[in-house]
Amino acid sequence: MQELEVKPETVESVGAELREVAIEPMNYMFGRIMEVLTVVGLIVMFVPGIIYVVTGKGFLSRELVVKNWGLKASAFWEKVMGIKVFGYSWFLSHLNAMDCLSIVGVCILAITPLISLFGAEIKADSKYKVLIGILIIEFLFAIFRPILMGH
Amino acid sequence: MIWWMWVLALFFMTLGIGVVAPIAGVGGGVLFTPLTMAFYPFSTDFIRGAGLVMAMTSALSSAPHFAKKGLANLRILAPVVVVSIIFSILGGIIGLWVTNAFPQGKSYIKIGLGCILFVVFLVYLFSKRVEFPQIARIDPISEKLDIHGAWYEPSLGKVVEYRTTNLLFALPAFAGVGFIAGMFGLGAGWANVPVLNLVMGAPLKVATSTSMMIITINDAAACWVYMARGAMLALIIVPSVLGITIGARIGARIAVKSRPRSIKYLVMVIMLFAAIMDIWKGLHGLGMAPPI
Repeated sequence: MQELEVKPETVESVGAELREVAIEPMNYMFGRIMEVLTVVGLIVMFVPGIIYVVTGKGFLSRELVVKNWGLKASAFWEKVMGIKVFGYSWFLSHLNAMDCLSIVGVCILAITPLISLFGAEIKADSKYKVLIGILIIEFLFAIFRPILMGH
Repeated sequence: MIWWMWVLALFFMTLGIGVVAPIAGVGGGVLFTPLTMAFYPFSTDFIRGAGLVMAMTSALSSAPHFAKKGLANLRILAPVVVVSIIFSILGGIIGLWVTNAFPQGKSYIKIGLGCILFVVFLVYLFSKRVEFPQIARIDPISEKLDIHGAWYEPSLGKVVEYRTTNLLFALPAFAGVGFIAGMFGLGAGWANVPVLNLVMGAPLKVATSTSMMIITINDAAACWVYMARGAMLALIIVPSVLGITIGARIGARIAVKSRPRSIKYLVMVIMLFAAIMDIWKGLHGLGMAPPI
């Protein structure tokens, strides 16, 4: 009786075939952009943020924050800085302060899905181009709503 | 208590949440927001802002890996998030309006969150998950959108292909989930996964992974609402996110080796305790219960 010989490379190639999954380009692009920007956002949030927590020097004095962190947001800003906050100028106008830089890191993280969607849009088929396009418009509305509507 | 003790307590609490959450199979936000509201002196606005950043960061860290493996799928995400993102923004706006327009707004939020936590508790207790749901019929919209996907499943040693259905039934559920996420500063994976798995028929791994992707978009959109109202403080966000980021890495390594059920029950007890504390504190704020 002839013995059936199985070559290791044949087994490997069958295994490779079984594992072969074609990842959709729009999913891959979405994931890749998200991966890179998340690292950038985390670094920008953590490094100045830790410096601020340790030194206490920033746009908002640490002592004042601690004294008033129990107040609702609107009352907090009126009491600590004497301002009403509508929009992003409260941290974008003070990028030399560590606490504001840390919030810029949050901004990068919060804009990451939008940029990933832009990347996915390029690779999507026509139906999904429309759906992702709507998502992008909705996301842009979330970002610009306070500036356009003022509240 | 001195300020740095609060900051350290926050760091160690989120570190602990990060460790137990992957083992128990829950998201970090669902523990962070209610526990911080129950035990810390921070305003509910800043807590919800930090909760959103935390849930978003955790999801951003894991979603790319799943997307590149074929588990998280934009074909499922796009039609449902078109609806949920608007409700997530609306939830954030209404949530901040409640605390800032009413003198006892934070009490309403605490009671609301406590009630939501009871629902979460019941979902974890009773909902059954189906590893590979069988789909009898694909609805016309899912068919038209060609919602499908595939991934290599090591436990089966083969590529698993799947489709989903019931898109129209899932949309109202995702609208509600988005609203709750924005209003209470939660990730809401506890609600996304059952809807994706049991209503739409996505395999469990796909449901869990796509839920992460949904959280990145819903929570990021709501984050902009909180940021625009100044409801974000670096002093609260940084230790919280740092703690959960480190904790989640430890937790994920432990979860690969063993997932003792006792941890899941412990987390559920903590969740129930936080729910009771939040409702009690909320009622106390309204003058309807004695102080704890």
